Amino acid sequence: MVSKNSSGPLTNMLSNVLKYPLFKKGAESEIRLGYYLNIKVVFKIRRRKRYMHPKLDMYLREIRTRREAQTLIRVAEEGASVPRVLAIYPSIGLLVLEYIEGETLKHYLSKFGFNQKLLIEAGRILAFVHKAKVIHGDPTTSNYIVSSNGLYLLDFGLADLGYDLEDRAIDLHLFGRALESTHVHLLGRAFKSFKEGYIEVLGSEAEEIIKRAEEIRLRGRYVETRRKSVWKNIGENLNEA
Amino acid sequence: MLGIESTAHTFGVGIVSSKPFKILADTRKTYRPKEGGILPREVASFFSSIASDAIKEALQETGLKINEIDAFAVALGPGMGPALRIGATVARTLSIYYKKPLIPVNHAVAHIEIARTLTGLKDPLILYISGGNTTVTSFLEGRYRVFGETQDMALGNLLDTFAREAGIAPPYVINGNHAVDICAEEGGFLERTLPYTVKGQDVSFSGLLTAALRSLKKGHKLSDICFTLREIAFSAVVEVAERGLVHTEKRSITVAGGVAANDLLRKKMETMAGDHEIIYKPVPKRFAGDNGVMIALVGLMSLYKGISINIEKSFVRQRWRLDEVEIPWYPKTPQDL
Repeated sequence: MVSKNSSGPLTNMLSNVLKYPLFKKGAESEIRLGYYLNIKVVFKIRRRKRYMHPKLDMYLREIRTRREAQTLIRVAEEGASVPRVLAIYPSIGLLVLEYIEGETLKHYLSKFGFNQKLLIEAGRILAFVHKAKVIHGDPTTSNYIVSSNGLYLLDFGLADLGYDLEDRAIDLHLFGRALESTHVHLLGRAFKSFKEGYIEVLGSEAEEIIKRAEEIRLRGRYVETRRKSVWKNIGENLNEA
Repeated sequence: MLGIESTAHTFGVGIVSSKPFKILADTRKTYRPKEGGILPREVASFFSSIASDAIKEALQETGLKINEIDAFAVALGPGMGPALRIGATVARTLSIYYKKPLIPVNHAVAHIEIARTLTGLKDPLILYISGGNTTVTSFLEGRYRVFGETQDMALGNLLDTFAREAGIAPPYVINGNHAVDICAEEGGFLERTLPYTVKGQDVSFSGLLTAALRSLKKGHKLSDICFTLREIAFSAVVEVAERGLVHTEKRSITVAGGVAANDLLRKKMETMAGDHEIIYKPVPKRFAGDNGVMIALVGLMSLYKGISINIEKSFVRQRWRLDEVEIPWYPKTPQDL
């Protein structure tokens, strides 16, 4: 399934894949829909980033392709709904994935407004990811797909193996900030439901992570409430003493 | 409108007019340390020694008398406290004495607004990078919202600190080129030596700085480290900007702030925008760094929307965040008044 040789057959493979129409061009990769062994699939191709030094670009494409496959497989085993991995070709930056039909959670929320069930589910999925000791790295509303089979989390392009409290909290924080940057008006309710789903799967373990996520938000540069809360904590400690 | 900038190492006085919008004066006095970094107290004492000359020079440039100025705008933050206080004190005094409104301006908003005004881009995604800031932002529902930012140090600070620790600065900038750029000229890319850290929409540079200094001690060539450090840092911010473009679906992008004058960064942004078929216009180099014109320009837009501040409330705010500021004039710029 994995090949390291980038000559001949793989170059052909890539040029064949590139004949399929472009479905979506992301920041990280191109998505093309096509057929692989007669199965309808998603081809995820990390194309060259011309603004990077070729060596940096090549290195990032290879490790990101490999890592994406590895993490997808792990979280699926833990029960997170994510697309299945069908084949990996790291040296040409190609990943072959199960096709999930639907629209992004971001568009869905913009169109239909607040949806408690979906937001709880979004939190649940991320919790399963974390349970599998994987950090997603970019769980924005653009990376969840609402399909007829339910919600899916896509794009493990920035994912990594890890169980660090800080990293898990950053995942939560990133979802919150994606809501803030595109759905300000429903931020409060939406993030609350998301956290509910997250707690549902992880139980008491989730509390610490949620607390840290809030700390991370306050750590952003020039957040005024950060200073206030620091002073408040100092005050409380003094009172206790 | 007269604007005063004094958030960091530059004391800037800008004078602009509206209907039509014109930049009438742009005076800048920059503090340059002989060694080490910038000490807030030394900057402040430098500022207080040149403030009145700077204002005099700016007025001379326009031929205006000071009582012909309609209002005084001042950057109240974010920035270094002692430096901010000099600008604020000067602006308050002028406002009281000449009985003209005092307009509070956020320094980050000013960098963005001058980029929008001079590029003509009405609704761009903005990459704002300077010595103290690294932010990808765009306007949504009344404010500039932060899409991504640095989790630790700013890109400009990374380059400055590395240059200082490696012994190639000060001076940090020679003929418009940063010490790290000059040092990188002879260098090449070191594979798998320095970490590339993009976490979702955020970048992190502290690990990169530490690793760069460590590999210097280990005996890697300084020019190669400069080259690699710069390549990784710029690629990372351009990648975050690229993600911001895809997420926000904006059709244009600009780059603002001091580091926006950097040629390699401008080139990388152009390449990235080209690949996404997005309109790209960076802020003109002359107005990338700190200046009083951008403060005056936001002052103009604020006054147009009736924003001013009572002297008693005009405190400086060292940590005044970009996304706390309402932008009621958006997407207008002074060109539209």
